[in-house]
Amino acid sequence: MNARKEGWIYVGPATLFLFLVMLVPLAYVAYTSVTNAGGDFSLASYHRLFSSDLFKRTLGTTFQISILASLCSLALGYPIALHLARQTPRMRAIYMVLVLVPFWTSILVKSYAFTVLLGRAGLVNQLLSFVSGSTVQLPMLFNRFGVMVGMTNYLIPFIVFPVLASLLAIDKSLYRASEIMGAKPPRIFFRITLPLSLPGVAAGVLSTTVMSMGFFVIPALLGGRQDVMMSNLVDFYTRETMDWNMASAIGVILLGIVTLAAILADQAKRFGSRPGVPA
Amino acid sequence: MSTSASRGVIDRQGNFYGGVRNLLAVFVYAFILVPTLIVIPISFGGSGELSFPPRVWTLDLYGQLFSSTPWMASILQSLKVAVITTIVSMLIGIPASYGLVRFEFPGKKLVMLLLMSPILVPVIVISLGLYLYLSRLQVVGTTIGLVASHTAYVVPFMMMTVMAGVRKLDPALEFAATIMGASRSTVFFKVVLPQLKPSLLAGALFAFLVSFDEVVIAWFLTSPSTTTLPVKMYSSIQWDISPVIAAVSALLTALSFVFCCISVLFQPAAPSDGNP
Repeated sequence: MNARKEGWIYVGPATLFLFLVMLVPLAYVAYTSVTNAGGDFSLASYHRLFSSDLFKRTLGTTFQISILASLCSLALGYPIALHLARQTPRMRAIYMVLVLVPFWTSILVKSYAFTVLLGRAGLVNQLLSFVSGSTVQLPMLFNRFGVMVGMTNYLIPFIVFPVLASLLAIDKSLYRASEIMGAKPPRIFFRITLPLSLPGVAAGVLSTTVMSMGFFVIPALLGGRQDVMMSNLVDFYTRETMDWNMASAIGVILLGIVTLAAILADQAKRFGSRPGVPA
Repeated sequence: MSTSASRGVIDRQGNFYGGVRNLLAVFVYAFILVPTLIVIPISFGGSGELSFPPRVWTLDLYGQLFSSTPWMASILQSLKVAVITTIVSMLIGIPASYGLVRFEFPGKKLVMLLLMSPILVPVIVISLGLYLYLSRLQVVGTTIGLVASHTAYVVPFMMMTVMAGVRKLDPALEFAATIMGASRSTVFFKVVLPQLKPSLLAGALFAFLVSFDEVVIAWFLTSPSTTTLPVKMYSSIQWDISPVIAAVSALLTALSFVFCCISVLFQPAAPSDGNP
C-alpha cells in the first residue's frame, strides 16, 4: 500500500505530462480521422484514402523503400558488426566512435552533404568525370537512388548495434572447435556466425523497416515526385490542402502498421527465445 | 616443421578472409562517415563554387553565418528550446526513472508504455497530433508550445539512460538511510541523486542533443518568429541551398563529435562490451 503510493509520487508528474502532451494529441488524431469537416462521425476520410491513387501509390512506395533500405543497411551494416566483434574491447571502443559520430550527426547535415555529393555537378560526378576522363552527370539526386543512399546511410548504425550484440554473445569456443575440426573461414561463417547472429539480424531489420516507414526528411530532400512516403503525404494534407481529416486518417493507418509490426516483432522474439537448447 | 608449415597455411587463409572482412568494413565506415566529415572542408571553401578540396581556404562562410540575423536567431532559438526542454525533462524524467525501477504499483506497465510512447510512435503522427491539439489551444508557433512538445518527445530518450543508472545502484544504501530515519526526500536527494551523477549528465546531454536536432515536430509547430535551426536548415536545403549551411553543418558535426566523446567517456561499460 505504502509502496504503491510512493511509486506514484515519482512517476506521477511525468505521467500527467505525457498524458496531456502525448496521449491526448494522439487521441485527437484518431478522433479527427473519424469525423468530417463539420465534426460529425464519418469514415469518409478512409473511404477517400482507399479510393485515392495517390494514397495507394504512396503506401506501396513506403513499403518498397522501407524494406529495401532496411535490407541494404543489413548488407552494409553486417560487415561493420563483424569487424567490431573481432576487435579487443579497447579497439572496439575506438572503432565504435566511427559508428557513433555519424549516428549522432543531424539528419539535416547528412541530407545537405548528400545534395552536395550526389548532385549533377556534385562531387561524386566530378570524381567519376575525373577518373573516366569524360563528363559524367549521373542522376543520383531527387530520385529513388538518392533516397536509398540517404536512408541506408542513416540506418546502418541501427543494424550494427543489435547484430554486434548477437555476435558478441556467441560462445568463442565454437570457433575454436570448428577450426580444430578443419572448417575454413567461409564455412565457419555460414554454419556458425551467421545462424547464431540471426536474432540480432531479425531485430535490426524489423526495427529499421519500422523506422523507415515514418521517414520524412530524407524522401522530402533527396527524393523526387515518385518517392513521396506516408509522412510526406501527412505533411501535404496538413499544410498544403489543410485537410486535417485525411492527414489524421493516414496517421492512424501509419500508426496501425507500426503497432502491428511491433507486436509481430515481440511475438517473434518470444518464439525465438524459447529455451530450445538444454543446458 | 610440418606443423609450423600448416599453421602458416591456416594463418594465410585467416589473413586473406580477415583482409576481405576488413576491406568491406573500411568501405562501409567510409560510407557512413563521408557525409558527416565532408561538410568540414566544404565549410572552409568560398561561397562561389563547389570544389573539393577547396581551392582557397577561407572563413567567409562562418563570417556570413555569424553576421546573418535569421541564422543566428534560429541558432539562439534552438539553444533556448533545447536548454528549457532539458531542464523540464530532467525534472519530470529523473523521478519517473527512479520510480519505475524501484517501485511496483498497479498500472506500472501502462505508465511505462505511455512514457516510452514517443519512441514507438512515428514522429510524423506525434507532430500531427501536437499540431492539431496545440492549434486548438492556440499555442502553435509559440516557444512554450514547442518546449512542451520537445519535452514530451525527449523524456523517454533521457529516461533510458537514467533508468540504466538506477538499475546499477545498490538498494541497500537507500534501505539503510531509511532505517536511520531519513525521510523519503532526504534519501532521494542525498543518497540516490549523488550516485547517479554520470547517468544524469549523459541523460541531460542526450535530451539536449535530441531536442536541438529535432526537425519534424518543430517543422509543424514553429512560426517564422520561433524557427529553430533544424527547421531553418530544412527549408534552406529544400529551397535555396545557401552555402552558409556548410558552416552550420560543420559546427553541428563538431557538436556531435564532442557529444559522442563525452558519452563514450561516461559509459565505459557500454552494452557493446559483451561481458556476460
